[in-house]
Amino acid sequence: MKSIRVCSAALLALMLSLTVAACGSSSSSNTSTKVGAVPAEQSLTGKTGGNLTVVASSDVDYIDPGAAYYQFTFMVTTATQRALYSFGPDDAVNAVPDLATQAPDVSSDGKTVTVKIKSNVKFSPPVNRAATSADVKYAIERAFLPTVANGYAGAYFGDIIGVKEFQDGKATEISGIDTPNSTTIVFNLNRGTGGVVAGALALPISAPVPKEYAAKFDAKNPSTYGVNQVATGPYMIEADSKGALTGYEPGKKINLVRNPNWDRATDFRKAYLDTINIEEGNDDTTVASRQILSGNGQVNGDFGPPPPVLKQIVNTTPDQLALTPSGGLRYVSLNTTLAPFNNLNVRKAVLAVFDREAMRATRGGPLLGPIANHFIPPAMGGFDEAGGLTGTGVDFLKYPKGNLALAKEYMKKGGFPSGMYTGSQQLLMVGTSGGAAQKSSEVAAAQLEKLGFKPKLRLVTQDSMYTKFCNVPKAKVVICPNVGWLKDFADPQTILDPTFNGKNIVDVNNSNWPQLNVASVNSAMDSAEVVVGASARNKAWAAIDRQITAQAPAIPWIWDDTANIRSTNVAGVINKFNSNWDLSFTSLK
Amino acid sequence: MIRYILRRLLWVVFLLFAVSFITFVIFYLLPSADPAALRAGRQPNPALVASIRHQLGLDQPWYVQYGRYMKNLIFHFDFGFSYQNGVPVRQLIFSRLPASISLAAGAAFLWLVVGIGVGIIAAVRPRTKLDRASMGLALVGISAPVYWLGLVALYLFSSDIGLIPILPGANSYVPLSEDPFSWFTSLIMPWCVLAVSFAAFYSRLLRGNLTEVLNEDYIRTARAKGLSERRVVFRHGLRSAITPIVTIFGLDLGILLGGAILTETVFNIPGIGRLSYSSIVRSDLPVIQGTVLLGAFFIVFANLFVDIFYAFLDPRVRYE
Repeated sequence: MKSIRVCSAALLALMLSLTVAACGSSSSSNTSTKVGAVPAEQSLTGKTGGNLTVVASSDVDYIDPGAAYYQFTFMVTTATQRALYSFGPDDAVNAVPDLATQAPDVSSDGKTVTVKIKSNVKFSPPVNRAATSADVKYAIERAFLPTVANGYAGAYFGDIIGVKEFQDGKATEISGIDTPNSTTIVFNLNRGTGGVVAGALALPISAPVPKEYAAKFDAKNPSTYGVNQVATGPYMIEADSKGALTGYEPGKKINLVRNPNWDRATDFRKAYLDTINIEEGNDDTTVASRQILSGNGQVNGDFGPPPPVLKQIVNTTPDQLALTPSGGLRYVSLNTTLAPFNNLNVRKAVLAVFDREAMRATRGGPLLGPIANHFIPPAMGGFDEAGGLTGTGVDFLKYPKGNLALAKEYMKKGGFPSGMYTGSQQLLMVGTSGGAAQKSSEVAAAQLEKLGFKPKLRLVTQDSMYTKFCNVPKAKVVICPNVGWLKDFADPQTILDPTFNGKNIVDVNNSNWPQLNVASVNSAMDSAEVVVGASARNKAWAAIDRQITAQAPAIPWIWDDTANIRSTNVAGVINKFNSNWDLSFTSLK
Repeated sequence: MIRYILRRLLWVVFLLFAVSFITFVIFYLLPSADPAALRAGRQPNPALVASIRHQLGLDQPWYVQYGRYMKNLIFHFDFGFSYQNGVPVRQLIFSRLPASISLAAGAAFLWLVVGIGVGIIAAVRPRTKLDRASMGLALVGISAPVYWLGLVALYLFSSDIGLIPILPGANSYVPLSEDPFSWFTSLIMPWCVLAVSFAAFYSRLLRGNLTEVLNEDYIRTARAKGLSERRVVFRHGLRSAITPIVTIFGLDLGILLGGAILTETVFNIPGIGRLSYSSIVRSDLPVIQGTVLLGAFFIVFANLFVDIFYAFLDPRVRYE
């Protein structure tokens, strides 16, 4: 098998991120002129010592790094765990070797990925030994255990040979992961998806887990390794001598202290702070935001300042604000399997009439990001190739405030001679109750009414909206106004494949909300999944983005920027990959 | 008396069973989120969701799940594991309980002292300016929603964001075991805010009762016998007028011990109320069950104590 060996730092970045944005191709998404925008290069120097308080509203999704999947959780895992690859603060696209020593070696057919790892990265107490390739192997294996329940392992590592046998309980190990020695790990794949596997190695799933210590916790249902975890990063969650976490109380606090076994010489992280206290449960984000802005040593965690507070910050203390592209987007999905949206022209009409500026206003207006015209967000590979900020060129997304005349034209083409919907059917629309999401739902309903549709808006909690309605095709929801997707890493596949690939329509936890199932789109995705090389992948996925946009399965309305805030005495550093404060680089002034 | 207590205790057990059963049924009948799907994360394959459903026992009929839950609860005092954090529910509840008790006990002390004090003063000086002013203020106190009052108090007096920064505010709760002084200062504002509406209601109720009692014949007799006004009011009047206060106090305290959701939310106090709310939002049934049972436990026991206390308060009451 012929391998493509990547040596230089630039090429390393390309291989890892699988995007062309490394070459600055996402310049059209640059927000550096905007008030509060994070500069292209942040100052990474800081003062050692002190305590930072991270003010959070909710808890992490999972304290177990093997199951962690949300931005806020990544904020913690990037400080406590060393995955094979990680993202430095200023580059959202190109990961750098972390536990690994160099770029992954992806074979030319994309079926083998080889990674060399450092030999001198030690686990925190009570394990106290150096991490090996076997620990990385176990970390990935345990992610497939139902007691751990990682939400993305199947999507990115499902092609590893032997995964199915392992999941079915027919094998005790995943046969396709080889560890020929303690510093080498090889992933053997059924298909040539090595490109995306290499990218996904920057997720916390690849942070080593010592099997001899963790197996007993993983045997429990659910696994209790999360509350007994060990760290490899500069910080660890406060724990007793046996490793049981004392610094984690769900919904209350996560206390990070220095990992005594961390060796600065092996890491690119600065780790200025001595301790980090994450204070959870600040449900009133207005109070919490004001507390951060007027207090000392505080930053926000899992929430952004509400629109009125944001406006105030922009006018009074913009230097306490940090705006950065999130790598995600929000859209209103239209169920392409149900009437009237099983008619392409009717869908195009809805997109044409939609006032997306009104939708964006519900979340805070232009400050919170540009209006989306297609599905790959800024700061992602393939964004520029798909049309950048101006869009793919379709007329029905040309007017941010909507165009009723054009919409009526499409309605006529769709079989409604008056240009208005004349059916009597009420359209089930399920949104999230409360806050900006509810406002977005209400605005979306009003847009649909412009063409005579009769949306029947039902508002439920966000979790119910997803798990009982929009994620369940059997629920026959016609419109989901509050859905969106965030990248997992900077490969465009992570945005388009879960959300628009027909083969990903499943009975439960379906994230292809429009249930788009177009043969040409599906086959283009099948081909693009096995493309190796960032430039080629970006082109392939950008073409798919254009295809999807032409199908009008959803109304993209904002490419979100994330707003972060800090106290004046915090020298905050944003991790642009995670769009949140980088705890390993932030310091106190 | 002992027979009465035993009979009431049996009722308590029955009630707790009923509450747990109703909670379980409601969870299954109403459209809440799917715990297996939530736990599986954003992009799981269907096999993983099914596997988690099996692991959590959610693929069993609801009555089997309920039976298993009750068995573990009765024989092992095991409330199960949180679907979301994989932490034992018992541990979650016990870690939150001190904060709820701290909040409820302090506020209860305040509203009893203020409510009873103001009620007595207003009753013994009816139709005076003091009476009218205190009852007017009480009306304002009853009308002000606790979350609004909490936010106003924060914006006025909180040491970090207040206009007159004199009291620790949001996100400042410190457990008693860590630092008693900080515990006390961090709870001053929540205690006051929580106590306002209760104190206002109690004072109006007591004023009404006491005014009525002070016009009774036996009070006139007591006065005619030459007893001091203080003795008349406190020994004879108040003892009779306070009975309804004791009844509602038992209920109120029981409810608050089960969690003061709004106050805990506004002041970021990690108590049972916030735990209940977040578990409802996340469809975390074992935690919902645990907190509901705890709330029911406090309410029925508070009632039991109130009923027993009646016998001491009012010599006419006998339980046979």
